[in-house]
Amino acid sequence: MAAIVIDRVRKSYGALTVLKDFSLDIADGEFVVLVGPSGCGKSTMLKILAGLEAASAGTIRIGGRDVTDLAPGDRDIAMVFQNYALYPHLTVASNMGFGLKMRGTPADEIARRVGEAARILDVEHLLERRPRQLSGGQRQRVALGRAIVREPQAFLMDEPLSNLDAKLRVHMRAEIGALHQRLGVTTIYVTHDQIEAMTMANRIVIIKDGEIQQIADPETMFERPANQFVAGFIGSPGMNFLTARAEQGVAQLFGTSVPVPPGADGAITVGLRPEHIEAGDGPVTFVARPNLVESLGSEKYIYFAAPEDNRPPGFLTRSEEDRRGDRLIARLINSGPIRIGEPVTLSFDPARLHVFDPASGRAIR
Amino acid sequence: MKQSLPARLVLYASVILTCAILVFPIYWLVITALSQPDQLRQLPPKFWPDEPRWGVFAKILAERPIFLWLGNSALAALGAVSISMVVSVLAGYSLSRFRVRGGESLGLFILTAKMLPATLLVIPLFGIFRMTGLIGSMWSIILAHATLIIPFTTWMLKGYFDTIPRELEQAAMVDGCSPLGALFRVILPVSAPGLAATALYGFVLSWSDYAYARTFLTNVQDNWTANLGITTMKGEYISNWSDISAASILVALPILAVYLFLERYLVGGLTAGSDK
Ligand SMILES: Nc1ncnc2c1ncn2[C@@H]1O[C@H](COP(=O)(O)OP(=O)(O)O)[C@@H](O)[C@H]1O
Ligand SMILES: [Mg+2]
Repeated sequence: MAAIVIDRVRKSYGALTVLKDFSLDIADGEFVVLVGPSGCGKSTMLKILAGLEAASAGTIRIGGRDVTDLAPGDRDIAMVFQNYALYPHLTVASNMGFGLKMRGTPADEIARRVGEAARILDVEHLLERRPRQLSGGQRQRVALGRAIVREPQAFLMDEPLSNLDAKLRVHMRAEIGALHQRLGVTTIYVTHDQIEAMTMANRIVIIKDGEIQQIADPETMFERPANQFVAGFIGSPGMNFLTARAEQGVAQLFGTSVPVPPGADGAITVGLRPEHIEAGDGPVTFVARPNLVESLGSEKYIYFAAPEDNRPPGFLTRSEEDRRGDRLIARLINSGPIRIGEPVTLSFDPARLHVFDPASGRAIR
Repeated sequence: MKQSLPARLVLYASVILTCAILVFPIYWLVITALSQPDQLRQLPPKFWPDEPRWGVFAKILAERPIFLWLGNSALAALGAVSISMVVSVLAGYSLSRFRVRGGESLGLFILTAKMLPATLLVIPLFGIFRMTGLIGSMWSIILAHATLIIPFTTWMLKGYFDTIPRELEQAAMVDGCSPLGALFRVILPVSAPGLAATALYGFVLSWSDYAYARTFLTNVQDNWTANLGITTMKGEYISNWSDISAASILVALPILAVYLFLERYLVGGLTAGSDK
């Protein structure tokens, strides 16, 4: 177990810069999730940590040791791959013991540790099988087993759950969490799924185009997003964005004057989460005509158009088709019956609003 | 997918027809070997000889040093395939995994080497072997066949390595292997079907060669390969086609044996289960 320091790492492939001055301090035993859209550089960062790719600049320290120029095998880390990358010609037991064997661990010690890991992961009955004889979930466990048998300084996991079906994914999510609780090994986990990030992480690192957008714990990420990208990325359904004009600390929203932070002046983008809109009267009340209602049993998603003066950013530059689809979403719990086209009274608390600078996207507080 | 009866009939008919076309020459080779020489050009042709000459094989083996020839062919093929596999495993793996400076044109160069007819290389090779004193030796034929085989096997293996996920050797390296260790401990065992197919292909290329053997080995009877030996059975005025066919069958058998030996590796599916 060890702390990890990523110091101003850059990575370019020719003219394409994939990571820009990436710096991150990870505490011993922490579970850090790197999350961002596909192609943002998450896997590249993980491979640089593992030593499978060389950084163009910057340094990596694991447990106080500079490993920037060390081979993957000398870094004392274990990696779990998205496609598991189990050795198809070896049994489950040999797969799990491979790393120890490479390091010259005595056979009885390997057998003991493989047995223990197999017990923790509940794959003892599979030890003599080959990877092709396993289900997806079992392969996933074996891949995790191969990592924990090594008792490394850190685990690196690259979208380890994305090949599983939805139900198994939720199950394994909890299981990886429990494994981390039990072993306490520093873990860096990569995913494009914000729900995975929110549920598993001690700290989340949101990346876009190779740049860190925000580093924070899940709650802060949700409550105080640093910019519009983070605000839109975290949460499901995503945050609603509206436009407004701020003058002397006030903006008009849904025909009502709402207070905005003093730093806001002129055109602003306002964010409002679907779960912060409620049925019935409240501090700011308005009437909406739903154009779509999705009922999920315990909750309803109400879709409705934004008022003329608060059209979402970019509204006019979109195609006709896109503009018609422009919808705000409210997520209502325990509302009465709601029908398409019939007016419904909704409200929100202006304290819940997020305000962003439309040019830079930065949050204004 | 369920097919209608007529569709299935058409499918089976075409399969049978294709097989018949492929198998007929082999069948005719057997007929020719078993017939009396003077019955060969009968009209209408006989589809099974009245008195099959089963003794022809024993006669050939007694009259000609078939086993010596087969041994030479085997030595040439094994030698050429061994050299080719070592070279093309390393070359194919590099081409598959590393972006070499000029890698694209290097690949293209190998591809064009494949397209050169073997006969074009006969003269320069002859010159080289005469200078180095290898002419007539088994080394000449082994090296010549290797030049023939390597471009093909390199490309076959590159294609095979391309299908193996990179994560496999990345996992091996994280587990403590050097890049070369990952190749030998993980990639090659996983590639067994590809290696077997490639080796078999190289073996057949070497085994079926005539032009090189004829050019480099003619003057050293002890080093004749099977194909070279058989052609000497063709007389200037009369040729005993029955005997030649019988010898040809004996020469074809080892290929069959090699195929049967490698067959279990040829059946792929070993990589199944490494991912997803
Ligand atoms: N070997 C490479 N050569 C060139 N570009 C690459 C290479 N590997 C990754 N990239 C590019 O780097 C970017 C980040 O890739 P990656 O780290 O895999 O993203 P992700 O966040 O989806 O894991 C992508 O635009 C990808 O195309
Ligand atoms: Mg990735």
